[in-house]
Amino acid sequence: MADHHVIIENLVKTYPGAQKPSVDHVSFSLPRGEMLALLGPSGCGKTTILRMIAGLIVPTSGAIRLDGRDVSSIPVYKRNMGMVFQAYALFPHMSVAENISFGLEMRKVGRAEREERVRKALDLVKLAGFGERKVSQLSGGQQQRAAIARSLVIEPELLLLDEPLSNLDAKLRDEMRDEIRDIQARTGVTAIFVTHDQDEALSMADRLAVMSAGRLEQIGTPREIFDRPQTDFVASFIGAGTFFEGKVAGPGVAAVDGLPPLRFVGEAAVGSPVRLMVRPHRLLLAGEHGQPNSFTGVVEHIVYRGQILTLSVRCGSRLLQADLPTHAGVLPQKGDQVTLTVAPEDVTLIGREAA
Amino acid sequence: MSAAVTAPAAGAPAASRGILLLLLLPGLVALVVTFLLPLLWLFRASFASSAVGTLSGGDWTSEAYTTVLFDPFYWRVAWNTLVLGFNVAVFAVILSYPIALFLARTQSRFRGVLTALAVAPLLTSSVVRTYGWMVIFGDRGVINSTLQALSLTDGVIRLTNNSLGATVALIEILMPYAILAMLSGFGRLNVQLEEAAAMLGANRLRVFTRIVLPLSLPGVLTAALLVFVLAISSFVTPRLMGGGRVFVLGTEVFNEATVTLNWPLAAALSVMLLVLFSSIILLYQRALRALEV
Ligand SMILES: Nc1ncnc2c1ncn2[C@@H]1O[C@H](COP(=O)(O)OP(=O)(O)O)[C@@H](O)[C@H]1O
Ligand SMILES: [Mg+2]
Repeated sequence: MADHHVIIENLVKTYPGAQKPSVDHVSFSLPRGEMLALLGPSGCGKTTILRMIAGLIVPTSGAIRLDGRDVSSIPVYKRNMGMVFQAYALFPHMSVAENISFGLEMRKVGRAEREERVRKALDLVKLAGFGERKVSQLSGGQQQRAAIARSLVIEPELLLLDEPLSNLDAKLRDEMRDEIRDIQARTGVTAIFVTHDQDEALSMADRLAVMSAGRLEQIGTPREIFDRPQTDFVASFIGAGTFFEGKVAGPGVAAVDGLPPLRFVGEAAVGSPVRLMVRPHRLLLAGEHGQPNSFTGVVEHIVYRGQILTLSVRCGSRLLQADLPTHAGVLPQKGDQVTLTVAPEDVTLIGREAA
Repeated sequence: MSAAVTAPAAGAPAASRGILLLLLLPGLVALVVTFLLPLLWLFRASFASSAVGTLSGGDWTSEAYTTVLFDPFYWRVAWNTLVLGFNVAVFAVILSYPIALFLARTQSRFRGVLTALAVAPLLTSSVVRTYGWMVIFGDRGVINSTLQALSLTDGVIRLTNNSLGATVALIEILMPYAILAMLSGFGRLNVQLEEAAAMLGANRLRVFTRIVLPLSLPGVLTAALLVFVLAISSFVTPRLMGGGRVFVLGTEVFNEATVTLNWPLAAALSVMLLVLFSSIILLYQRALRALEV
């Protein structure tokens, strides 16, 4: 941790006149060359954190360290960080090349070297030959690329991206998602990006920090976050799932109202209350009754989604959500009685570290 | 073959063009009656031989233009007018720029109120405001009596009845227009662009010279043009603050039309003002295009 490239410590921001802090004691760290996603619903303080790191707003308290050095007192224009704004913020009175060259001019880089580096940056983002264009002559995706080139050409200490894909249409978004990942990997720049889209965060980030109402809920790899959510918020914000409240009846067994005992993997003291979750794709159609963790119920609702079929199965007072692959033989119909099972290791114990 | 195909297609736009013309008609009529016809009459009047001739038709003569073009007095008047317009435009723009920039950039919730305050002087007539300046600048005005009471000066410092007074008063009177014009021309300014520049290593001065200033130039140019045009066509302020000693095209047109009753000459001077306007606007459009391409 201490040798991580970026370390955020107890960062707090209370805007003037606000009752509650918008960012409340947030701490996390990031090794060199990794990409972190700040994920959370709109208004949870993601942009505020990004702008504090950039130096565009002053934290109420807390520290931002790069290689162990607190950068809080360094003014924006000396922080040497690249920022890709949500609306790109390209300078409309300059050509694409002039936009990219701007940061180099500010650094007093000589003309010849500037031209060379601008050319390389344009190549990097696949905009070779677009340098002389006016910004207004670029499509949304091209503007995005130009903005990325402009922030990378200065070889920033840290690349910051605020909702980089939110202004693009769906197809372009998928394309730019891979593109940004690829550019980041090739340049090896440490990057932090903000998003409210879980798919984006899960697919692009090495590490994911989930936020809610100004607080950091959990930080971890996309897998850890998805499979081992530590809070109710993370569990319900990322992906779908069915939740169970129960009491630990024995080692790895929970008693849940109205269902057979639920087996899970994980440490929990006997007698203590627990919350458990099962992801829809972990529930499987069982051939026979009597297996551990099997639930029998009636299909109440079916949604066909191409590759998967989403079932809502009524089990007593509970509705279980299950995603079945559509190629799996005979598919259940509405009103059918079905039995679903889940392996104990696929039952997530919320609020505990992985066993 | 292609003609047969395109003929019906071309018919549709023709029909909608007819509707367009119909919709434009009221505006066109109003323009012709209130603008084009008076303009033609003005033009005709400038070639008449007497005030009566401007109404009754009669013979054509270029006498008025001969006077305007060959009497050095009118050349001086034209020059005075240009100098007045230039000075007023430059100072009004310089003084209004920081105010407009502040109003355009502030996040304050009082922004609307502040903008209204900045243009509130437009609510009083420029005649009243000119009298206000006479009270301040007059020989026994606020400034002179204060200076004398403090024994800083013996005599009177002449601030009215000369072009200095007219210039200062016009600057103040036209500043609200400059602010409004700038605000409408600052559309490309955007705090995020300034932040982007700062992130790229530009300090405050660089952000201003490389981002804010170039992006605000269209607004500045529009404001300068508007103030210049309003200043060279002004009459009340140069007349009152100049006390009859400041000769500009506006005051001369008034004099010829109402005092000497030389309507052809007044018309010729008006045409001269019009020519001046048109050239300035042409130049302005050139400059604006150069800025935005
Ligand atoms: N300049 C500001 N002044 C006051 N409150 C702000 C300001 N910017 C953001 N906030 C508040 O701080 C909270 C977090 O905002 P933000 O960081 O933009 O969230 P996110 O990027 O996650 O959507 C919100 O409640 C928002 O209203
Ligand atoms: Mg945001």
